[in-house]
Amino acid sequence: MTYAMTDRAVPKSRTKKQTLLKQIMTMPAGAILLVFATLQIVCIIGALAYPDDFRYLSPQNLTILMKAIPVLGCLALGAGILMIAGEFDLSIGSVYTLTAVLMATLVDGGMSAFIAAPLGILLGVIIGFLNGTITLRFGLPSFIVTLGGLLFWRGAVLLYNGAVQVRFDPEPAFSSLFAGTLFGINAAFIWIVAFVIGFYLLLHRHRFGNHVFATGGNPAAATAIGINTDRVKMIAFAIAGGMAAVAGIIATARVGSVQPGQGAGLELQAIAACVIGGLSLRGGRGSIIGIFLGVMLIHTITDVLLLLRAPGFYLDMFIATLIVVAAAFNHLIERRGAA
Amino acid sequence: MSAPNLLELHNISKSFGALTALRDLSFHIGPSEVIGLLGDNGAGKSTTVNLISGIHRPTSGHLSVDGQKTLFTCRSDSADAGIETIYQNTALVDSLSITRNIFMGRERTDALGFLKQGEMRDIAMEVLEKAVHISGIDSPDKLVGDLSGGQKQAVAIARAVFFKRRVLLLDEPTSALSVRETEALLAQVLKLKAEGVSSVLVTHNLYHAYQVCDRFVIMSHGTKVFDVPKADTSISQLTEYVVLT
Repeated sequence: MTYAMTDRAVPKSRTKKQTLLKQIMTMPAGAILLVFATLQIVCIIGALAYPDDFRYLSPQNLTILMKAIPVLGCLALGAGILMIAGEFDLSIGSVYTLTAVLMATLVDGGMSAFIAAPLGILLGVIIGFLNGTITLRFGLPSFIVTLGGLLFWRGAVLLYNGAVQVRFDPEPAFSSLFAGTLFGINAAFIWIVAFVIGFYLLLHRHRFGNHVFATGGNPAAATAIGINTDRVKMIAFAIAGGMAAVAGIIATARVGSVQPGQGAGLELQAIAACVIGGLSLRGGRGSIIGIFLGVMLIHTITDVLLLLRAPGFYLDMFIATLIVVAAAFNHLIERRGAA
Repeated sequence: MSAPNLLELHNISKSFGALTALRDLSFHIGPSEVIGLLGDNGAGKSTTVNLISGIHRPTSGHLSVDGQKTLFTCRSDSADAGIETIYQNTALVDSLSITRNIFMGRERTDALGFLKQGEMRDIAMEVLEKAVHISGIDSPDKLVGDLSGGQKQAVAIARAVFFKRRVLLLDEPTSALSVRETEALLAQVLKLKAEGVSSVLVTHNLYHAYQVCDRFVIMSHGTKVFDVPKADTSISQLTEYVVLT
């Protein structure tokens, strides 16, 4: 036995032979980036070729897109970080409505929106902690616990304020902070970009993010190395709840009212955006840029179908196909990684 | 006269309820020594590994580190003593890079907790190149999930080496490896020995153990039945002891 043997101890690396396309595909969020870029190019060419029939690049359309993306974006960022830690939160749609209703009624009662909004976020965080505590203390699947949360808080909205719309009429400073414009860019869109950067730093550049990936990727290894996985998951649950409340604030500030049923189905869209963005349902895999691209892709497709005046059911069918294809693709990548 | 032993086990017994897993077990691990801990299934090898890595506490008896009497009550006690256990299913996260795995739980960060990625990457690169020379790993940015079984063990060993471990406990290290990877791993153990890191190879495979070990400790029914330097024994004699006792 000589040391020279070690030089051929292992099959040669395959990476050198990979083409650029393959490299992009194996990058985190590489595939989604490719799909997104292709779609954008097609849309832009289409808009330039038929400016009257396909108004994709019109200022009105871009404004609609910028207003629509932040709400789902906030929900998906929170849900995504929790998914990477290996847990689910199905209650975020209901929490989104509940916290918005709480904030709107408090403002209606004379409270400043600058106090009511943080209270709404606090409620979201508390519900997140509650989900986490029940899940971890009793060792239950978070899917079931938060399914309970979805129904419970949906009911709580009706108990608290009935099935009526709540007007939201904050001071102008609050409105312009969340629904105004800065240099022609929608304030809510600036918020979501800031959140994406913040979450990117937290998940990919901070110690906590490293622990999130370890907790979701290999809980036994994370524990063996001394990471408190319960604490990591607890914080992730709280982030998911808090971001649901933030989404509620942004949506409410834009529309000026809260509908008691407005959050229904949003939790599934948020998880769909995460899956499309390359997150694994088993945790431990994913990226913030992937989540954001997943959100943008869902909204771009929605927008294109609206511009083409396609009936609404096409949208559901399109997104559904995208989710399944994305999940299958992710699974292939994972299996290759495990082999 | 000579340097104190890195680790000594003194009259260790361990019972799980009515079951006695270890009886009056004593042996030592010297500096720069590779020990083969051999024995058939149920001989108590795994219990010994768990005891040395701090997962189990002995029912009676004690350990000494550098001649100082001590007891390990948890995993981090044994880590503090410079002992790293490398299990068959190494404690790595497949979806993270080699660098992030090496520094998992011991990240280099600034005051705000942000990762010093460049610094960690440079160290990982150096460790992989110098300390653990197993080819096929060309970048510390590779995901651990893309590595082979032997490469994963190399990363686990790199982690142990970088964090200045003095004793490696390798629990059935070769059972999941190809022939080539086994050769590379055994070469690695010898290289570390030359650098002053002792190893305990816990294995079924007498031939692998015979290749690299300086001394053999053979266990049977929870206690030591044979403790012999390589020069004074042969494979056939070792086989006899493992099979017949």
